[in-house]
This record gives sequence, structure tokens and C-alpha cells, in this order.
Amino acid sequence: MSTPINPYDLLKSIVQLSTSSIPVEIKQDRMLQSISRAFETDRCLLLRPEKIIPNGFLSRLVSEKKPLWVEEGSSFPKENIPPEEKEFLCPTFACIPMFDEVSFQGILFISFSKNHRFSPQEIDLLLQIGETIGAVIRNDDLRQKAEETISELTALYEMGKAVTSTLQLKNLFELIVATGLKILKAKGGVLRVEGRRTGALEIKCSKGDYHQNPLDEKIAKRVFYTRTPLAFNHSGEEKPSLSILCAPFLSKGKSFGTLAFYDKDSNASKFDERDLQLLLMMANQMSCAIENALIHYETSEISQRHEKRAKELSTLWELNKALLTTVNFERILHLTLTAITIGEGLKFNRAILFLVNEKKRILEGTMAVGPDSAEEVGRVWASLSQRQGPLSDLITQLSPQSTSTLNSLVKKIQIPLEQEQCILSRTVLEGKPFNIQFPQSKEGWIQTRCERGCHLSSEVGCYVGEHLSRDPKVYSFATVPLMGTGKVIGVILVDNLYNQNPITEEDIHFLNMFANQAGLAIENTILYRNLEEVHQEFKETQTFLVHLEKMIALGEMSTTIAHEIKNPLTSIGGFARRLDRTIPEESQEKKYSQTIIKEVSRLEKILNDLLNYTRDESLVFKEVDLRGILEENLSMVTQRIHPGGIQLIKEYAEEIHRVMGDPHQLKQAFFNLINNACQAMKGNGILFLRVHPFSKNGSHYIKVEVEDTGKGINPENLHNIFNPFYSTKESSLGLGLPIVHKIITSHRGKIEVDNHPGKGVNFIITLPAQRE
Amino acid sequence: MKKILVVDDEESIRFLYKEELEEDGYIVECAKNGEEALEMLSIFKPDLISLDIKMPVMDGIEALKRIREKERRLPIILCSAYGEYKQDFTTWASDAYVVKCADLTQFKSTIRKLLGLL
Repeated sequence: MSTPINPYDLLKSIVQLSTSSIPVEIKQDRMLQSISRAFETDRCLLLRPEKIIPNGFLSRLVSEKKPLWVEEGSSFPKENIPPEEKEFLCPTFACIPMFDEVSFQGILFISFSKNHRFSPQEIDLLLQIGETIGAVIRNDDLRQKAEETISELTALYEMGKAVTSTLQLKNLFELIVATGLKILKAKGGVLRVEGRRTGALEIKCSKGDYHQNPLDEKIAKRVFYTRTPLAFNHSGEEKPSLSILCAPFLSKGKSFGTLAFYDKDSNASKFDERDLQLLLMMANQMSCAIENALIHYETSEISQRHEKRAKELSTLWELNKALLTTVNFERILHLTLTAITIGEGLKFNRAILFLVNEKKRILEGTMAVGPDSAEEVGRVWASLSQRQGPLSDLITQLSPQSTSTLNSLVKKIQIPLEQEQCILSRTVLEGKPFNIQFPQSKEGWIQTRCERGCHLSSEVGCYVGEHLSRDPKVYSFATVPLMGTGKVIGVILVDNLYNQNPITEEDIHFLNMFANQAGLAIENTILYRNLEEVHQEFKETQTFLVHLEKMIALGEMSTTIAHEIKNPLTSIGGFARRLDRTIPEESQEKKYSQTIIKEVSRLEKILNDLLNYTRDESLVFKEVDLRGILEENLSMVTQRIHPGGIQLIKEYAEEIHRVMGDPHQLKQAFFNLINNACQAMKGNGILFLRVHPFSKNGSHYIKVEVEDTGKGINPENLHNIFNPFYSTKESSLGLGLPIVHKIITSHRGKIEVDNHPGKGVNFIITLPAQRE
Repeated sequence: MKKILVVDDEESIRFLYKEELEEDGYIVECAKNGEEALEMLSIFKPDLISLDIKMPVMDGIEALKRIREKERRLPIILCSAYGEYKQDFTTWASDAYVVKCADLTQFKSTIRKLLGLL
């Protein structure tokens, strides 16, 4: 050596270098340079552990943990040295392995091309240096590791922070996979979560290239079910190399998903243990966050549903409030349909109400609410959006549009209840709602064809196809039954003709709930209306009964009076006749007596009519031949007939049954009719008398007709002819026909009038025949 | 000469009937009520009785019954202002029922028929 080594200087420079903040590689280089310079070595190397081959002498040194000093002439076995290490076999060289308690940092190798003797001082120095360099390396390793760990932890921390910043599942998943890709330096990543409804593993997020082959899914499933992570590295010559890391998401001991990454994007292109640990850490941390997000998602769904329910109930309440504002039938119907079509209510485009008519067993279209065209929809919308206030007020404010075409169309619809193909009838008969969507395909169109050729097998379909919808192929509607107490009282049909919104099961459910309420309200108004009618009838009947009592009293009174009057009248008339017989024909007194006689006669007739009409009937029924009755009457009016210029035509059937009746009353009845006929014809005309048997529905009757050819009855008076005391003649009380009517009805018969003004009248009497 | 007994509570009626029937040649006596009529029965021995119904003391129906007990074959005309007794079965015991009227034609023809003078 040229100069003696100053151990202090060398150590100082080594130590200075080691504590400096120069990057590690440079540090090492400079250290080696210092050593090289100081020792004037040929070569000065730092052999890292990975460069040391397993079976060479170097590795033996490592295992013996002893330095090797080889000088010229030393007995160092040079056989069995692997070829890679031959370069180290210089004339003089030293190998100093660097250890600490924990690890092996490497071997410091110096060599001299010429001979060199290592003095004990040098050995000592070199050993010190070796330790220092070892320490440097170790520190540096530690630092590197620490840095990496810190950066990973930081990344994880960041991820944790970001992940807890959002409860949106979708963002969360993306964040997890993206961060994972970054941390693990993978090419692709997949996140799977168990689907709540399906129970199968569903891919929620994937990034980068990932192998969409069955292997990927198999691994995920295996990890999921076994709840243990899996690392799989495969490198082969034929297939491209594939490395997969997969870890489960665990919560409360159960797995609910998996996280997998593929193909490490680095030189090694393999995932190592550390990566697996990282992935596990990630998965653990993320499990919590994911679970939170999932719970949050479900909770918000539930709360949304509840909110929706609450809104529905509050809408129902508002609607019911509106329904309670009136008992008027039309108004309630209109309120119901308005509530169904208004935007804040049930939001259907159109609603049509049909009510059951029990007597006729049909469904009658009663009312419809809905725009007649798309333009009208817009107008109504615009005007409604300006109104404000609670729903119940809104509904009650809208006034019925009785002139709408839809309304007038619907009022004409009548559907027999037994028509089972009609969806409306079926709704009533089965008491449940229907949601009809016409089929899209042409084949489906044919399947449900009704007899009239429309696509819905129902009368409604026909109406719908032709009238309610312009295009039968695109009509869908729903029906709900209107329930009263214990029975179906009608049907409501709704559709979304203009906005074509589909009608969901929930809509039907809500509509049904409302229809139940509305049904009760409507039934109430119907009952109320009936009650009003009944009450009215009752009042009228009461009035009538009071009137009747008066009449009866009057009748009784008048009967008594009539009787009181009758006797004196008989005397007056009788003596007037006696006087009349003594008065000469042409004298003035004759006129006086004639007048008295005539007037008394008139009074007698009035009294007779009155007494006949007001007396109690106690009929004595006998078997009577009506022909005989007529003949008796005819004998009483012979004066009027032939001498009176009236022609008589009789048509009596050969054989007729007898009639059970009071002969006197029947005689009276027919007498009145014949008398009237004669009076109507006053001098000329034809009197027809016909008696015929006839049968109907197995029962036998006798028909008697009294027809005249007089003026006939004035059509204005026709409905009053059987009214007592209604008379167009001055000289009578008008009781003739009422008496006839009373007699015939008390014989269980019928009287009909065939009136031809200007030509004559035919009275047709039908009496039940006595079967022999 | 046929004898007719007129029974009626109204004086004017009795007067009228007596005048009219005597004009026709009958011998006429009157009674005010049913009881008097019964008394007259054995005294006067009428060939026909005209009997009013509504009378005090004894009415026409009762009188009819009592007279019939005595005289089965004697023609009796029930003569009344009332029409309703036509239905009463007790009136079937009489031979005729006539409603009182100022025009006595029918009354008279009924009398003639019952006395076989038609």
C-alpha cells in the first residue's frame, strides 16, 4: 500500500455517509468507494442476499455467519466452487457477511489483484465497516418497508374515509374496486354481493380486465361459501398467466360478498402474501361500510314505502272528508269520480261509474269524468295547477261537467248483469277488481275476440273499442267493484287513455280501498234519497188520508142530508105533477108547473147519483148472464133508441160463461154506459153492443163492448172521465162513469176506453168468467 | 075496490100517495109507523101495503117481518128513499122494492102488477 490506512478517517466518512440523507444507492456507492480508496482494492462489492447462490461457498459463509479472509497462500479449497462464484476467486479477497439479530443484509466483498496481507487492524476495521454498512442496509430496508406500509395504510385510510363519506351503494362499490386496483397494482377487480332477493352472487362492480371465464365465478363462489380467502397463481407456457386474489366480505360470521383482483401489474405479475394480507384488510374494513350502506339502502326503501303508504292514507282521508260534505246523490258520484281523476288524488285519466239496477238486473252507466280529448287534458291541467289548498277543498270545488260527451255517452250504456263475458258484469258478480291489458301481439288479439269482433271479449270492449277509445289496439283499463254493505252496488272503470301510464297492482289496491269508502257513501245517499222519497210519500199519504176522512165525513153527511131532502122532494114533485094534470095545456101556468116538475126531476137525479155513489157496498154475488143484463137495460131505454133515431146493432156470442156478480149493480153500470151512449148520439147514430168470451193465460173472461158513434171524448178530459164529480155536462154531477168504474172494479173486472174524437167511443168491459 | 095501506112517517108523503091512489080508484088508508100498520091490518084488511123503511117506533123491516107472520100472501111493496136495502136479504120477503120518486108511474104499475090488475 502506498499510504497507511487511517482507520479513523475511513470510519468517520463511512459513519457520516450512513447518517446522511443521501439516497441509499448513492450512499452505498460512496461507501464502497471510500473503502476502495482507503484499501486500494481492486474490487469492492456489496452482494445482496438474492445474489447469493444456494450451494456456493458464499452461502456457506452465510450459514456459518463467519467472515472469510483469503490471502495468497491460504488454504482455501478452490474445488467444488460453482462457476458463478469463480469470479470471486481472486488472489486476495475478503467476504464479510452482515448480520443482525433479525436478518442477513448481504456480503461485503473486497478483492485485491495483488497480494495483500490483512493486518488485525484492517480486519477489525473491515468488520466494523461491515457492521455499519449492514446497519445502513437494514435501516434502509426498514425505511422502505415502513414507507410502503405507510403509503398502503394511507391509501386504506383514504379509502376508509371516502367510503364512509358515501352511503350510495353504487359509488361505494366503485370506490372500493378502484382503490383496490391502485393499492394492489392489479389489472382488474370484481366486487360481488349476495342479492337479497335472489340469494345468488351478483356482480355489483367490475373494473379493468378481468377474466370473465368460469374460473372467476368458481373461485368467487368457493371463497363465498368457505369464507376463506384464496390466492391463485398460474403461469404456464400455453395459457396466458393468470393470478387471482379473492377475499370474502364477512359480517357477523357470515359472508355476504367477495372482492377479487387479477393480474398484478408489476414485474412479478404475481400476488404475494403481502397482497393477500392487504386484500384481507381491505375486505374487513369494507365489510362494515358495505353493510352499513346496504342497511341504509334497505332502510330508505322501507321508509320510502312507509312514506308512500302514509301519503296514500292521508289522501284517502282527504277524499273521505270530501265525501262527507254532502248527501246529494249526484254530487257524491261526481266527487268520487273527481277524486279518482284529480292529480293529487288517484291520478287516473278517466273514471266511469256504473250502478246496479236490481229490478231490471242491469248495469247502468251513471256518470263519467274525464277529458274528451288530449287537448282538454292540457287545459284542465293548466287550470288545476293554479289552484291551491287541501285536497278535500280542491275536489269539492270542481263542478260537474254534465255536458261532456263522455258523460252523455256513458249514460246510454246498459249492460245486462248476466252477460258473463262483460268484464263489468264479472266485476259485480265476482266482487273483485280486474286489470285488463290488451295483448300486444296479433295472435293475442284474436284470442280474446268477442262476438262483435273487437279485441276484448266483452260488451265493454265493444264500447271501448268503438266509442271510448279511438284506437282499440292500445286500450287498457281496470275495474273495481263498488261495495255497499254486504253487496256490490256498482263498478268503477278507470283508464289512462291520454298519458298511457300503466296501471299497477298498487294503483288497483289504492283504488279498491277508496272504492270501498265511496261505495258506502254512495249507498248512504241512495238510502237517504229513498228515505226522502218514502217520507214524501208518507206525507202525501197522510194528507190524502186526512182528505179522505173529510170526504168520508162529507159523504156521510151528504148521505144523511140527501135522505132528508129526498122525502120532501118526492112530495113537492108528486104534488106538482098533480097540479100539472089540472092545468090546461096552452096556459101560462102550465109552463110553471112543467118547470117545477122538471127541476124536481133534476134534483132527484142528483140525489140518486149521490146516494148511489156514496153508499156502502155490500155486494151479493150471483151467477149472472151479461146478455140478460144488457137486454133489461135496453128495455128501459127503448124510447131513446129506435124512436130516438139510434140504430142498434147487437153481437152476442152464442155460448158464454156466466159471471159472478151483483145483478143490480151490473145493471146499473151498463145502464149508465148505454145511457151515456144514447145521450152522446142525440138523435142519430149507431149503438153497438157486443158480448164475447175470451181466454188469456188459461183464465176465461167475458168482454162486453158498448160503442157509440157520437162526438167522442175530448182528449184533454180523457184522463178524468172516471174521476168523481168531474163533469162537462151542466145537468149532472158527473158520477155516471165513476160509478161504472167502481162497480166493474169491485167485480174484479177492467174497463178500457177506445176513444176516437169526432167518430165515437167504445167502452170495453172485461169481467172474469165463472168456470162451470 | 082494492084496499091499499100506505105506511110512511112523513105526512106529505102520506098525503101525496093517498091523493094519487084514490084518484086511480083505490081505497086508501094510512099509518104513521109499523106499529100503527099492524093495528090497521086487522081493522082495514088491505089488499096491498106500501111500506116505508125508515120510521120511528117500528121501522119497515121489523114491520115487514111482523106482517108476514100474520099474512103470508099479502103483497107488500117496500118503498123507500134509500136504495141500499135492496141488498138486504130481509127485503126479499117483500114482493117489490121501489125507490121513492116524484114520478109515481113505476110505483103505480108495480101495484097493478102485484094486484094482478095488469
